[in-house]
Amino acid sequence: MGAALGILTAIGGFVDIGDLVTNAVVGSRFGLSLVWVVVLGVVGICRFANMSGRVAAVSGRATFEIIRERLGPRAAGANLVASFAINLLTLTAEIGGIALALHLASSVEPRLWIPVAGLAVWLVLWRVKFDVMENVAGLLGLLLIGFAVALFLLGPDWGELLRQAVPPSPPANEHPAAYWYYAVALFGAAMTPYEVFFFSSGAVEERWTAKDLATNRVNVLIGFPLGGMLSVTIAACAAVVLLPAGIEVSSLSQIVLPVAQAGGVMLLAVVLVGIVAATFGAALETALSSGYSLAQYMGWSWGKFRRPAHAARFHLTMIVAVLLGVGILMTSVDPVTVTEMSVVFSAVALPLTYVPILVVANDPQYMGRYVNGRVVNALGTVYLVIVVVAALAAIPLMIATGAGS
Amino acid sequence: MHGGRVGTTRRGAARSVVVASVLTATLTGTLTATAGCTVASHQEPGQATAAVADALAEARSAAQATRITVEQLSRGRLTGPVADTALLDQLRALDDAELALTTLVPPDATSSDQRSTGLSAVGDVTDVVVRAREWTAARSGGDLAGADAVPPTADALLADLATATGAVDDALAAAGGP
Repeated sequence: MGAALGILTAIGGFVDIGDLVTNAVVGSRFGLSLVWVVVLGVVGICRFANMSGRVAAVSGRATFEIIRERLGPRAAGANLVASFAINLLTLTAEIGGIALALHLASSVEPRLWIPVAGLAVWLVLWRVKFDVMENVAGLLGLLLIGFAVALFLLGPDWGELLRQAVPPSPPANEHPAAYWYYAVALFGAAMTPYEVFFFSSGAVEERWTAKDLATNRVNVLIGFPLGGMLSVTIAACAAVVLLPAGIEVSSLSQIVLPVAQAGGVMLLAVVLVGIVAATFGAALETALSSGYSLAQYMGWSWGKFRRPAHAARFHLTMIVAVLLGVGILMTSVDPVTVTEMSVVFSAVALPLTYVPILVVANDPQYMGRYVNGRVVNALGTVYLVIVVVAALAAIPLMIATGAGS
Repeated sequence: MHGGRVGTTRRGAARSVVVASVLTATLTGTLTATAGCTVASHQEPGQATAAVADALAEARSAAQATRITVEQLSRGRLTGPVADTALLDQLRALDDAELALTTLVPPDATSSDQRSTGLSAVGDVTDVVVRAREWTAARSGGDLAGADAVPPTADALLADLATATGAVDDALAAAGGP
């Protein structure tokens, strides 16, 4: 029962506003020709999360404690500034995603929903226990399976979808630079750094030990790929309905049109609840990651297993992060644009967390007999190259393509 | 002591003169270089045509999203609030497309004609989407049922939308779009 719950939570918790928007945009413009990037990202996040969970469980220390210990305060401080900024951008996008989903369901202006979403995130962080928070958000996020149901109800030409995916190549009407820009964005959406801060700190929150490693591996290796399949169905729905009509996704309302076409009001309602839950869960995770990273670097008391009065600076950091996110959104910036920026800059920041985790996972002083094996290291090195190439290519591609336009 | 302060002040004054001279030279150079330009946003004919095509593709996308929204709402597969939000999003997209066209400075007669045709086509689609929102409001129990501007049926609305989308398609084809 516990293992099943872990897997379901991993599936439901995989998709956030970045995955949702990027997959729909890609599906509406490139069909399934970028599905290989989702596969690459899912394998990467499985390795990355598994490794960071193992490091936390064996060493008893979370990501930023280790980064500071290994890199020293100055280099780790620079890492913290960059990671915190990207995390804040992602948190802003997630709060914006909650507001957009509620706007879609109610037709009430998103600027009225933004403070409500921020307050709700803070209340849950303040009052709700870690495991309840994680499980409820993850399970409700599972409702995004409505996209998979919609895809089957639409009755697509499966052969045509397969032809779009294999062999992967940019459509004739799209510039190759735009294709590679979205490849980097999709990779960044699948492997956002906050997932690793959250995963490794969550392992400490839940007091994992080496005995929990098998459960962790099963949750990650089954849950994340199934979550990745959910991402692919979002892209496929867009490829089936929006691409032939020439609709380029620029708003959340367009993303759910295929669901309404396939399953009507009931399926639409299910998906809307799923979107709110997925973005809400991700907002909780990113807000927590802000508190985790700063508190771990500064050596403050941290964790939801402590009462707020006993981890006051950790909670204050989260409150400030949520307020900053709400403040940014209240300037009328488009949440979809913030989301698109956040996934690209996530790709830029990936090496900052990936490299230290890879180094520590190979250090027998921290890991003892749980140090990386040869196969894991070979795969880890391949991903190191991919992560660095994606990070270096992201900004030049963004400039060259005008952010994919 | 006093002499040292005078020395510092003189050095400060000399630095200020150098900074002021560099700024003056930079500004003068920039103004001289840009004086030969007709306008800041002058483009080559090919670039202007591509910009018109981009704006029209955005308008076409909004028109198609409106079509699906109206079709699904008329079949009872969308709720009123979701349809209203979707149409509002399309109006924003059309607003962006119109802004891109109105701020474009055509370099030749061909791109000027393309821009004018495009603006007219985008305006027609915008009118239909505005009426689609009124139709949605009327369907949802709004007090608009007797208003002249509100189309009587979804079919009438979709027919108007098809005509407006056709004009966008023609303008897009003229601008070298798909």
